[in-house]
Amino acid sequence: MRIAVDAMGGDYAPQEIVKGCVKAADLLSDVELILVGDREVLEEELRRCGWAGRGIRIHHASQVIEMNEHPALALRKKKDSSIMVATMLVKAGEAEAVVSCGNTGAQMAAALFAWGCFDGIDRPAIGTLIPRYNGYTVMLDVGANVDVKAEQLVQFALMGSAYARTALGVENPRVGLLSNGEEETKGNQVTLAAYARLKDLNGLNFVGNVEGRDLFTGRADVVVCDGFVGNTILKVMEGLIGELMKRLQDAGIDSRELLQDFDYTRIGGAPLLGVKGVSVVCHGSSRAEAVYNGIAQAVRCVNQDMVASLNHSLAAVG
Amino acid sequence: MEEFFEQARKILAEQLGMDPELITWDTTFEEIDADSIDIVEMLMALEDIYDVEFPEDNLEDYKTMGSLIKALYQVISAK
Repeated sequence: MRIAVDAMGGDYAPQEIVKGCVKAADLLSDVELILVGDREVLEEELRRCGWAGRGIRIHHASQVIEMNEHPALALRKKKDSSIMVATMLVKAGEAEAVVSCGNTGAQMAAALFAWGCFDGIDRPAIGTLIPRYNGYTVMLDVGANVDVKAEQLVQFALMGSAYARTALGVENPRVGLLSNGEEETKGNQVTLAAYARLKDLNGLNFVGNVEGRDLFTGRADVVVCDGFVGNTILKVMEGLIGELMKRLQDAGIDSRELLQDFDYTRIGGAPLLGVKGVSVVCHGSSRAEAVYNGIAQAVRCVNQDMVASLNHSLAAVG
Repeated sequence: MEEFFEQARKILAEQLGMDPELITWDTTFEEIDADSIDIVEMLMALEDIYDVEFPEDNLEDYKTMGSLIKALYQVISAK
């Protein structure tokens, strides 16, 4: 299996990306990594990491899309950017998946422009698995679309339901719409409009509005929200878990093992759902361990045949 | 240029799920909630139809459908 890694995207690129790739090349069998970025820089980094000389090759790309650039417009201007080139490698059949810690909007737009979305899906969403007692909750979108229309939330609900079937094996996933109260009348204009459409949607097990705490109560298998809210929730969780760990440590309790499921560096990344390819979005602050786990996530998505399963599942529901 | 505009607004309206008649020369992209991805997708579709490549510069400077279409039409006319 070949995975194209955007080696230039991320707060700690390319050093930490290359280190993570070297670890993946050592530990993941039958995986070839294609490092996409400036050849000279990457060769130097590989040398510095003490790369053993197997499982990695470099594909040159001369440009980088920075974190602060306007995604779609930057992609038009920078056709030789590492994220665009990595995504095009999948289109050309030279890789099975893309992994990036760079500009999320650009990663989403690259997948959208290069691969396109499934029928009935306007925009991809990032779906992540939130660990809860005895299971997981799928939450989407966690950052690809900060502004959404009601129709897009409906599409996210369908994609989330399909992903829960594929990734968690839940036969008839319960889908909740994240709001500021359980009642049908709670929410902003977009969620109210989405609720009205979701409750009448055939083939979707819509359980109504859910609240933030329900990510952990198991009231729903899938929680739908826009990317602004979803990303904010993830970052709050990240901060809260860090705070809890510090307090427990002060109390003499080693909580690392207990809370490891919540550690984003162990989760690695989350797939873009709705596009016709595997693109795993990693935290912008990823260091080597997170990059390694993001690659492992991409391998799992390919092995699960996630794209075909999702398409099949969407066709059945939609 | 009218025909080109007609083609462009039809593409954009389909992407946004709205009536093409609601998009006029003076319509701003903000008014119809068209973001940069919608605009680039429209451009890519037009490039395919007219077999041209539009320049990449300053797309963000065009705030109305009319101003963008006029600029793009110059590229097609020069072909």
